[in-house]
Amino acid sequence: MTRTIGRRDFIKTGAGAGLTLAMGKALFAASGAAPMTKPPVVGVGIGEDYGQAAGKAIALAGGMKVFIQKGTKVALLANVQSRHPGTHTKPEVLRTVIGLCKKVGAARIDCLSWQPVKQWEDTGLKAVCDAEGVGLRLFEKDEALFKPVPIPKGLALKEARILAAYFEYDRLINMPITKDHAGNKFTGSLKNLMGLNSPENNRTFHKANWKTDPDDIAHLDQSIVDLNQVVKPALNVVDATEFIVSNGPFGPGQIFTPQKVVAGTDRVAIDAYCASLWGLKPADIVQIKKASEQGLGLIDLDKVVLKEDYYY
Amino acid sequence: MSGTGRWGSAPALIALLLAAAGMVLTAGGGQDELLSVLPADGAVPGWSRDGAPQEFVGEDLYTYIDGGAEIYQEYGFRRMVVQDYQSSAGRSVSLEIFEMATPAAAYGIYTFKRSGQGRIVPLGSGTELEDYYLNYWKGRFLVTLTGFDATTPTIDGLLAVAGAVDKKLTEGAGAPDLVAALPGEGLRPQSVKYLKGLLGLNNIYPFYTARGLAFAEAVKGDYEEGAFLIVLDYGSPEARVKAWAELEAFLQGGDRFKKAEVRGPAFPLYVDGKGRYAAFAETGNRLIVAVGPGPDAAVGLAARAIR
Repeated sequence: MTRTIGRRDFIKTGAGAGLTLAMGKALFAASGAAPMTKPPVVGVGIGEDYGQAAGKAIALAGGMKVFIQKGTKVALLANVQSRHPGTHTKPEVLRTVIGLCKKVGAARIDCLSWQPVKQWEDTGLKAVCDAEGVGLRLFEKDEALFKPVPIPKGLALKEARILAAYFEYDRLINMPITKDHAGNKFTGSLKNLMGLNSPENNRTFHKANWKTDPDDIAHLDQSIVDLNQVVKPALNVVDATEFIVSNGPFGPGQIFTPQKVVAGTDRVAIDAYCASLWGLKPADIVQIKKASEQGLGLIDLDKVVLKEDYYY
Repeated sequence: MSGTGRWGSAPALIALLLAAAGMVLTAGGGQDELLSVLPADGAVPGWSRDGAPQEFVGEDLYTYIDGGAEIYQEYGFRRMVVQDYQSSAGRSVSLEIFEMATPAAAYGIYTFKRSGQGRIVPLGSGTELEDYYLNYWKGRFLVTLTGFDATTPTIDGLLAVAGAVDKKLTEGAGAPDLVAALPGEGLRPQSVKYLKGLLGLNNIYPFYTARGLAFAEAVKGDYEEGAFLIVLDYGSPEARVKAWAELEAFLQGGDRFKKAEVRGPAFPLYVDGKGRYAAFAETGNRLIVAVGPGPDAAVGLAARAIR
């Protein structure tokens, strides 16, 4: 079922009531238990059947039951930023994640987004939601639908504005596609969480009179890191099957085809791995470097348990 | 961002007349005129419009290209229209027409978006066809077509739609004069990129600073053995002198570049973070940056640019 939700609908459902008071608890609940293993495990499924590759990646990362339990309410955050090839999460990957959530007995599975329904239709992701019978909850870009979340440790961003509906869920599965980004060279699991933050708040990630100088990029990437301090997915499943390595994030651009899906809890390790897929040095990607320095994960892939395998 | 072209005084009427008469678009004046460039149903046999066109003006581009509009704005963006087309066999193509502020802006964003490895086809003032998409520029317009698969019927349709648009865009212009600053010998023509700001430069050769990089325009081209040349134009010799002083102070003071220990270099020479050599030379309004795998390649390319 697809529904675009406006301010009135949100208030009517009562989902907004008392949310601010419950924020702290809800935030950690939605963040999931997701204990970070030491060292973290990154699962990589490989192969031309991207659904199978996704299943393999999640199995290698520990299996869906480690991240999602019976009765869990699951929010899914796919990337539908553009409909051009290699710029959005593949439908096959979404289908597999939904199937595995169902298999472990998730009580509720919904995709959340403030992108328009046309994006979901054109990318084929809406068809997956419809076929699998899971919710596609689309929200207007209305600030009333987003709730303030303080970021005490934020260096650039002191307050996020997170989609309020997110707090109705127990777990978040972050499902970006990794790809080029003209501004800061890379997008992956860290940056994808901007899809939960309000567009207006996201705009503050870009300093006024943006000139793309190092200070501008540092501010943008620090804001991304700050956002990641308060939203912690239970699982990240990154589409690295076919993605653009030029003209990002919108495309069209040159497509690189590693045919990989990457899964795990350590966003820094995952993004470091994905960046290295097309020759980027993780330490050169400011958001990955800062996230590592600020305790969000490991940038050194030698310290990560990397499990790569083809599906069978 | 309002249209100020020759049709600006009566855009709706003129657009209507243009559409009715099947006339060509020769000057910017408004969205309606941009819409008139879109091929109508049947203009390309077997293909028809799929849905209504979307239009974005000025800052609204951010709502269409969420997170990626900055590069268009850096070059100088006015407005765009996007229209999908579908074939009777169910193939889909997306057409985007960007109206930029100047022909140089259109040329620049075209060079930024092309891979330099695509197939050249005779459309517009410059065209590259990639596996599943095509970019060309003409006058102040950048035209991007994206096929949602790379099959022959889709690419044939994509080319046909592109051709129909090309016929309606008659405004012409050549590449900016600065492109001629790249020595022709050894230059890979499709590698040329024309830049208007730091975002474009960062995607080609990041200096990790803004100091000394407030150039008016720049151009980059690839040469043999991985060497490439960047020519930065600051508008005046005084501005160039000041810029180089700032940039050189950064190069000497930071940890991104190291002064090369090469005996008797003709130009200041540095080693970047990837071990490449960068030679710098000054001439008139321009700062030359020649990058190569070794000191000789970098210095030699800088010398050619000065000549």
